[in-house]
Amino acid sequence: MVLTVFDKVGASVLMATDTFGDFAVLAGRAFAAIFKRPFDGKNLLNQFQSVGVNSIPVVVLTSLAVSMVFAVQLAFGFRQFQAEGLASQVEGLAVMRELAPVITGLMLSGRIGSAMAAELGTMQVTEQIDALECLATDPIHYLFVPRLLASMLVVPLLTVVSVYIGFWGGYLILVGVEGQSAYVYGNEFYKLLAFKDLRIAIYKALVFGTIIALVGCWKGYRTQGGAEGVGNAPTSSVVTSSLWILISDFFLTKLLLV
Amino acid sequence: MAVIDVVNLSKAFGSNVVLANVNLQVEDGESLVVLGGSGTGKTVLLRNIMGLLTPDSGHVAIEGKIIAQLGRDELFQVRQSIGMCFQMAALFDSMTVFENVAFGLRRHQKMTEAQIQARVEECLSLVGMKGTDKLKPSELSGGMKRRVGFARAIALKPKILLFDEPTTGLDPVMTDVIGRVILDLKDELGVTTITITHDLKSAFEIADRIALLFRGECIACEKPADFKVNPHPVVQQFLRGDADGPFLLDPPPPKRIPKEAHA
Repeated sequence: MVLTVFDKVGASVLMATDTFGDFAVLAGRAFAAIFKRPFDGKNLLNQFQSVGVNSIPVVVLTSLAVSMVFAVQLAFGFRQFQAEGLASQVEGLAVMRELAPVITGLMLSGRIGSAMAAELGTMQVTEQIDALECLATDPIHYLFVPRLLASMLVVPLLTVVSVYIGFWGGYLILVGVEGQSAYVYGNEFYKLLAFKDLRIAIYKALVFGTIIALVGCWKGYRTQGGAEGVGNAPTSSVVTSSLWILISDFFLTKLLLV
Repeated sequence: MAVIDVVNLSKAFGSNVVLANVNLQVEDGESLVVLGGSGTGKTVLLRNIMGLLTPDSGHVAIEGKIIAQLGRDELFQVRQSIGMCFQMAALFDSMTVFENVAFGLRRHQKMTEAQIQARVEECLSLVGMKGTDKLKPSELSGGMKRRVGFARAIALKPKILLFDEPTTGLDPVMTDVIGRVILDLKDELGVTTITITHDLKSAFEIADRIALLFRGECIACEKPADFKVNPHPVVQQFLRGDADGPFLLDPPPPKRIPKEAHA
């Protein structure tokens, strides 16, 4: 009985170590492949299009919705203490440091991370990845690198867009609905912020972009079992990358705020 | 020296032994056809030759280079001299026919766009697919996909061509078309080929030698005329296409005699 429990715990630990090791090796190979030739500019531009340009609407809408909801909550909360003026300051701090990078990361893990997992998963089960190997092309170089580079560049850029939209989301509620002065809101939004906060947001977005691309590609690349496997890969990618985004956000916040 | 040398190759997945001490040598310009029932390790053999799988024991050598001992870059060099035609073609579905065939050329050859265009047209002509370059794989039939897969495989002018069940799932006419294309490619390019197939008609047309895999072992490898008269019961059962015999581990129930036969 005790041995069975130890067996199960041991097997779980071995499996977790194996999985993490596999991810680490593929991630290492992907970073090493960035500097390998040939450089596929067309493939990279396609990824910028699908990862970046096509994601703008979803980032704009979610950033607007979340910043507006947050402004409503702040206005209500601070009204209890007759401190409505603080709402715009806290809105600015929250949007810049947390909401913009995390919401952008989570939305993109759902939009592009899942798409990467589904695309690579389909390629895996239809032997297209084997065909790449047979055509003397490293799938890590050809498939992972453009997605990784696009994601690492685009997620920070979309986070900046999200901050900008977050400003206007708060504006709509605090100025448009709560009746604060537009001039005061414009000043107060940035009052508690320093350049360091923008840097923190971009660092976080860079890490989130890396997580999204690597997890999405990894889950797709390791897809097995036909249609069922292809169906599971995007779900697993979204859950894993969302979890890692939220966990890494905590550690990044602790680390970068020092 | 054999171009392809398979020496004591064994491969198992868990407790399922797929290949057990398989030995095969294919000479320069020779066409070997590998026959065998489903699940006897024919595709696993090809994947070991391409280096997509690593043998448990034994080895595969291409022109004297042992595949499993090569580094990534050396392996890719060897793979440029091998064209692999997949069972379901494995065309890149996000690309057109032209882009599929041009893929290897763009990655590995320093060619101008005009040269690539000319080479792609040449390859598509060889497989009877001229004029389809703008189509996507989803717009092609099964037989057309296979032929585009052949065109992609020959684009880099390989010395070796591997065909993995090129006629499976096709109608008899298309099966004959594919058989003829393989023969044409063999004659015009003078390549060494290994073809895996279930289709005995095209096997006897294509082959210089025929091998039969049975439960992971190679039980025959000889010229087509000798293969036809090989007394091994498994060979004869396979040639007859009969369910009764030693070929199946779990043979089906005896054949029912139609009622009219009793009358």
